Amino acid sequence: MHRILQRIICSVVVVFLHTGTAFALDGNEILRQVDANMQPQSYEMYRKLINVEPDGKKKEFVLYTVKTGQDKMVALFISPASEEGRATLRLGDNMWLYIPNVGKPLRITSLQSVIGGIFNNSDILRLDYSVEYDATGISEQEKTYQLDLKAKSPSVAYDHLKMTVDKESLLPLDIECYAVSGMLIKTLHYSKIQDFGDGMVRPSLLETDSPLHKGYRSVMLFAKVEKKEFADEVFTLNYMSRINELRK
Amino acid sequence: MNYESKGTVHRRITVSLFSKILLLSGLLLVAAPVNGSDEFSFDLEEIEKKPYQLGGYVELRGEHADINQGSVFTRLNLTDPNISTMDSLYGSIQLDGSYEYGISSLNVQLKAAAQQDTIGWSDLTLVNAAYVSLQPTPSATFSLGKKSYKWGKGYAWNPVGFVNRRKDPNNPEDALEGYVTLECDFIKSWQQSALQTAALTIAVLPVWDDINDDFGESDEVNLAAKLYLLYRDVDIDLMVLTGNSRSESIGLDFSTNLAPHFEIHGEAAYIPSFKKNILKEDNSSSIEENDTFSALLGIRYLSENDVTSIVEYYYNGGGYSEEEMADFYQLAEAGFSQSLEPGTDLLDRAREMSLKGYGRPQPGRHYLYAKFSQKEPFDLLYLSPGIVALINLEDQSYSITPEVVYTGVTNWEFRLNFSMIDGGSHTEYGEKVNSNKLELRARYFF
Repeated sequence: MHRILQRIICSVVVVFLHTGTAFALDGNEILRQVDANMQPQSYEMYRKLINVEPDGKKKEFVLYTVKTGQDKMVALFISPASEEGRATLRLGDNMWLYIPNVGKPLRITSLQSVIGGIFNNSDILRLDYSVEYDATGISEQEKTYQLDLKAKSPSVAYDHLKMTVDKESLLPLDIECYAVSGMLIKTLHYSKIQDFGDGMVRPSLLETDSPLHKGYRSVMLFAKVEKKEFADEVFTLNYMSRINELRK
Repeated sequence: MNYESKGTVHRRITVSLFSKILLLSGLLLVAAPVNGSDEFSFDLEEIEKKPYQLGGYVELRGEHADINQGSVFTRLNLTDPNISTMDSLYGSIQLDGSYEYGISSLNVQLKAAAQQDTIGWSDLTLVNAAYVSLQPTPSATFSLGKKSYKWGKGYAWNPVGFVNRRKDPNNPEDALEGYVTLECDFIKSWQQSALQTAALTIAVLPVWDDINDDFGESDEVNLAAKLYLLYRDVDIDLMVLTGNSRSESIGLDFSTNLAPHFEIHGEAAYIPSFKKNILKEDNSSSIEENDTFSALLGIRYLSENDVTSIVEYYYNGGGYSEEEMADFYQLAEAGFSQSLEPGTDLLDRAREMSLKGYGRPQPGRHYLYAKFSQKEPFDLLYLSPGIVALINLEDQSYSITPEVVYTGVTNWEFRLNFSMIDGGSHTEYGEKVNSNKLELRARYFF
């Protein structure tokens, strides 16, 4: 029932957004819809990160991720063997890294990389866009919206974003990520729309390129994105060594 | 064999060992898998979970060290103090296994290591951890068995690590052996509250024959407890150790982000009756009991150009003052000068006092640790150069270690470092066995 109601509300919002002459475009509302279409608020999912070097050599990482509420998230590396058991926890602006041999969580910053390559902690533990950013501008093209997004907090990795959103599906297509200085740090490209079940139809591929790492590419593949509820106690330092036990 | 010919032999061993290490590292690199395919796929088989897990790593390490000939610890510890260099080849394997059944799990970590050096062969096998745990709810966990403890927020030292094994500041991320405990862990989280999380860990640590017998006095049952709070984005731990195996201890630690790229952490420990072996004026020894306070304050800073800085100051209240260390060095010197005379026991006394505290790592009171590492400079993916400095602030002796770590080949880690160890006469690092050390390490994870 709740799901049907949510779809009706989404459809109404989309209809209103398409009749833009009668109602002013609300960038923040579009952003919330983008988030709702990308993942449930509480979920588990698997991601594969692939770093591709200019000579075609690849390095792959697989992550298990769980999230609950607006700002509680934990990601666990399940491969390769050299990273297995590493977990990163995010509670709002706080982040910790757990390395099995070290045996205790260490506080880290959002820009610190837990692995090599173009992805950093913020990419791996990104919260909903509407939680981290405010829409400060919006423009409309024939098939897309372009949103200008400004970080709500200085702890967010990218100071502002330019997000291109598909009008029909309200899913993101491209996102340009900028530093405070205005320098373009990286560009994200979403593609390969896939039905993950339970009404979740969203991109299954995220490609990243960066002018700072010319010739290098990073790719993120998504699998088993499923709505699931977790106890708040799962998102604590004491639980970080046991995240793998959540996997079924 | 005269001294010159020994030196020639040692140089030949050095060249031979390092040729083998370099050749082996080259072969390992060539043998490592490289995937040139440009297709992206994500099979569900890759994320299938098995009830058991088995992993770990194999390590091969080669070292070449110049001996600090004439130093106090060279003469105390080496059977042949005329050795000018020391070469060693070290191999180890660490196995991590776990098995889950319902709400229970079994976790094991085993380690075996062997070393061949200029002096001889040594090896060891160790059970770092072996415990069963029960987790009836996400809020409660019970475990029984051998488990490693890493209390404290410090990177190089942990004055509040009352049940920790002492870690090596040069390799602070290595796994350490645990203690046999019965442990309960309770967690409670709150939403929309200044106190976001509270967690209580209670560990019962017995010391009997063959169980935790290196922890302290035998036939005692000790209790260690830690209360963790996440309060207004600050991590806070309060910890206590009671029982008669060691002096009772209380401590606290904290860590928080003052800015998005700036973390600060600290620890403070108070031990009301800390026991310390002291060398007296007549070269006899006694155990003194004093109120002891130790503390650590540190920062972690990430710069815009991806340089991570970790800097820590450590006040070791249970350590020896510069004057106390000077007494020990004088005893050793007296022992060296009299050791040829029959009936003298000064050298034996110096060796005994070395084992009882004066010869342990970082025996002094004031230390500074600094590590600066840069992630992937000049677009060199997976390469991290860095430099680590360890300084005794009282006698200004130090160890400085530039290093480079490469993780570009899946499941391989290569580390090359060179330590310069220096200080004046009768200073901590000036009297070490090594004056410098070159180390090449390769680890394969499976």
